[in-house]
Amino acid sequence: MKRRWSRSHLFTSLLLSLSLLAAACSSTPANQSQGETKPPENTPAQNASAQQAQSATPTDTLFVAINADQGTLDPAVTFDNGAWKITYPAYQRLVEYDGATTEVKPGLAKEWKVSDDGLTWTFTLAEGNKFADGTPVTAEAVKFTFDRTLKIQKGPADVYNVIKEVKVDSPTSVTFVLNQNFPPFLSTLAANYGGIVNPNVMKEEKDGDLGQNYLANNTMGSGPYQLSEWRKGEYIKLTLNPHSSVKPAIQNVFFKIVPDATSQRLQLEQGEIDIAEGIPKEQLKAVMAFPNVEVLQEPSLAVDYVYVNSTKGNPALQNPKVRQALSYAVDYDALTSSVQEGFATQMRGPIPKGLWGHDESAHQYKRDVEKAKALLAEAGVSNLKLDLLYSDNKAWWETEALALQSFFADVGVTLNLKKIAYATSREMMDKGEFDLALGVWSPDFGDPYMFMNYWFDSNNFGLAGNRAFYKNDKVDELVRKAAQINDKAEREKLYKEAQNIVIDEAPYLYLYQMDFQLPISKQVKGFVFNPMLEGIYNLADMSK
Amino acid sequence: MRQIITKRLAMLVLVLFGVTLITFFLSHVIPGDPARMMVGQRASEETLQEVRRQLGLDQPVWVQYFTYMKGLLAGDFGDSIRTQQPVINDLITFFPATIELALTAFVIAIVIGIPIGILSAVKKDTGWDHAGRFFSIAGISTPVFWSGLVGILLFYKVFNLLPSSGRIDLMVTPPPTITGLFLVDSLLTGNWAAFSNSLWHLILPACTLAFAQLATVTRQVRASMLEVLGQDYIRTALANGIHGPVLLFRYALRNALIPTITVVGLSFGSLLGGAVVTETIFGWPGMGKYVVESIAFLDFPAIMGFTFVISLGYVIINLLVDLTYYALDPQIKE
Repeated sequence: MKRRWSRSHLFTSLLLSLSLLAAACSSTPANQSQGETKPPENTPAQNASAQQAQSATPTDTLFVAINADQGTLDPAVTFDNGAWKITYPAYQRLVEYDGATTEVKPGLAKEWKVSDDGLTWTFTLAEGNKFADGTPVTAEAVKFTFDRTLKIQKGPADVYNVIKEVKVDSPTSVTFVLNQNFPPFLSTLAANYGGIVNPNVMKEEKDGDLGQNYLANNTMGSGPYQLSEWRKGEYIKLTLNPHSSVKPAIQNVFFKIVPDATSQRLQLEQGEIDIAEGIPKEQLKAVMAFPNVEVLQEPSLAVDYVYVNSTKGNPALQNPKVRQALSYAVDYDALTSSVQEGFATQMRGPIPKGLWGHDESAHQYKRDVEKAKALLAEAGVSNLKLDLLYSDNKAWWETEALALQSFFADVGVTLNLKKIAYATSREMMDKGEFDLALGVWSPDFGDPYMFMNYWFDSNNFGLAGNRAFYKNDKVDELVRKAAQINDKAEREKLYKEAQNIVIDEAPYLYLYQMDFQLPISKQVKGFVFNPMLEGIYNLADMSK
Repeated sequence: MRQIITKRLAMLVLVLFGVTLITFFLSHVIPGDPARMMVGQRASEETLQEVRRQLGLDQPVWVQYFTYMKGLLAGDFGDSIRTQQPVINDLITFFPATIELALTAFVIAIVIGIPIGILSAVKKDTGWDHAGRFFSIAGISTPVFWSGLVGILLFYKVFNLLPSSGRIDLMVTPPPTITGLFLVDSLLTGNWAAFSNSLWHLILPACTLAFAQLATVTRQVRASMLEVLGQDYIRTALANGIHGPVLLFRYALRNALIPTITVVGLSFGSLLGGAVVTETIFGWPGMGKYVVESIAFLDFPAIMGFTFVISLGYVIINLLVDLTYYALDPQIKE
């Protein structure tokens, strides 16, 4: 019996030490384990996998690991920026975002003019742009694209409902007539749904679907790339549009579906992929230590903020002094470091940094417990109890809610955390059944309209945008006026004035802008992050 | 026999009907709106309603169910909301990958599991038995996401022997689809590069999945073998001088296999469904990964299609297991 026991004991300890070894290996630094790489042996498969793992992907091919397969790729249907990373380089738009800015530059249109009343936009097309099948891009194609989007009546149509009519003046000139003046119109044309579609898609039409079925799986644009192969669940491959005048260095792009974050991390470390999109924040510090990888970090336009229900919640919140007190209670630095690992920037008013209209001189709240208490006393409020509504939609909201709870406790406000299923929480927000609620927001087009008009116009109560149910006649007047004129400097002035009011009256707690982070191989050159095109690559300018 | 089969087939239809009913209503009762997912957060109410109308979501749930069943009876699984493609196309794409993975894991589990089970029974309470128990219990109690990751760390990162994800290299052209199983198709077309490459991709996920199933096989074989070895006829055989492999395989194992087949056969069903996690870790383009993505998008038709096919598979395996039972054990025919 004793002998037997010791034998199985031996085996057990052997297994244990094996698993310890495995654990130890996982923490081995990259360079060390690379040094241990065996030379390739004779078996062909082993050879292939060893080669692939050791180096170096071909320099004309880019490998991007994405988390999940994509849905439809039709620019008139998709509202998912996961799909946009495939379609954006395959289509061209009348105007394009300029480099890293939220301004636009000429795209398919070399110039444009707008009438004084802002209702008529005329674009003159540059010549020589061709779709991937060789047909030239004409004014007819532009009209076709927008008519098609409006007929399909899905998400993107909502953005263009402002269009009354698209008229072809000549093969190189096209005019948009709008229902009302809408200054951000130009900016919407640079977004993914502004991609001009080849009218030949109608040859693929089935049952009157305007080619939706075909474009779900194919691209038909004039961009430098086109979709050439899609192995479902495995990868999506882009190759060059042979008729494009642009001649990029990267000839092939594989968007490889790797759902598991750890696999992505290992493949990036081994050089099997060039970009890994799916590595969570808490693992990025480890990725930064890889010798062949850098982690790009840029402020994004996605903001995280708190709706302070200014009319329908706890009556105390109708007093701006109470809302200011809450704004002073927050320790913004502690919040960004505990909730976002420091990868975030405190907001300065509603318009985030990086978008025009952002006011660097605007007032920024800082933690001041005494001032907060004084403001509450002035307002005659004591023993305030508030509910904070949030859901599990964002992983970090739990920590954020707890942090806010402790900040508010310091000024004598009791915060009761109400975590609710996402769908239900949205419904409650829409109806205004909350005191405070956590939210995120990112702009669809590069215009302060996305923040000022959505968040503060009292016509937009509820999920539509004014989620604080905030009403101030002066602010209404200012933001509506700014949405009616086309002079940018004048608009900026109006928005600035409105911003000062809404910062002072604090219907939201302006928490932070999140940073965009991307682990990318050091071999890859030329990537430019545009905050309006988060998750989209300027493939044609990149090289390896 | 024929009567039994007919009866079982009728039951099969009934079970499947129940499955569609439950999944349909469950997936429609949970809060969430695929139309909202599709049009984006800030879309106007009109657009939202229009998309709901296009998807048929504005109808009462029972009307939607009726429409769905009408299509299903005609072999139409409907269109996926997310990919806007017929669900049947997606199932045809992803199902063979899952089958290939589950089948390979199944074979590995049996080839390794049965000998370990026999060994454990014959050398009961020795170090062999303990080691066998340790190994198989370790498999069943280790979550796949952990053993899978350790596998990737060891064989991809440290030894650099096996690929970490996918079904075949991006640069290797997969064999033309005949059965959809890469190993079989590449053999049939004599494409050795594709064969070895896909085999290389298959090893790690299949072993991970097999490891988790191993205990089911070994424990069952061990228990049945012990039971059989204690029977009178074995003692008689021993007394008659029959021993060694002949006794073990011809006399004992055959009888021990009957209960094993039931258990192991049913475990194949759970292999199909249980491949979900394995597929996610290894980026295996199968049904599991597909349904996870569909659930995140509330893609009802895709979820329904997946559940239906998996249930169908389960029910058919169940039937096959029972039929094997009849074939193996003549007594049951009475």
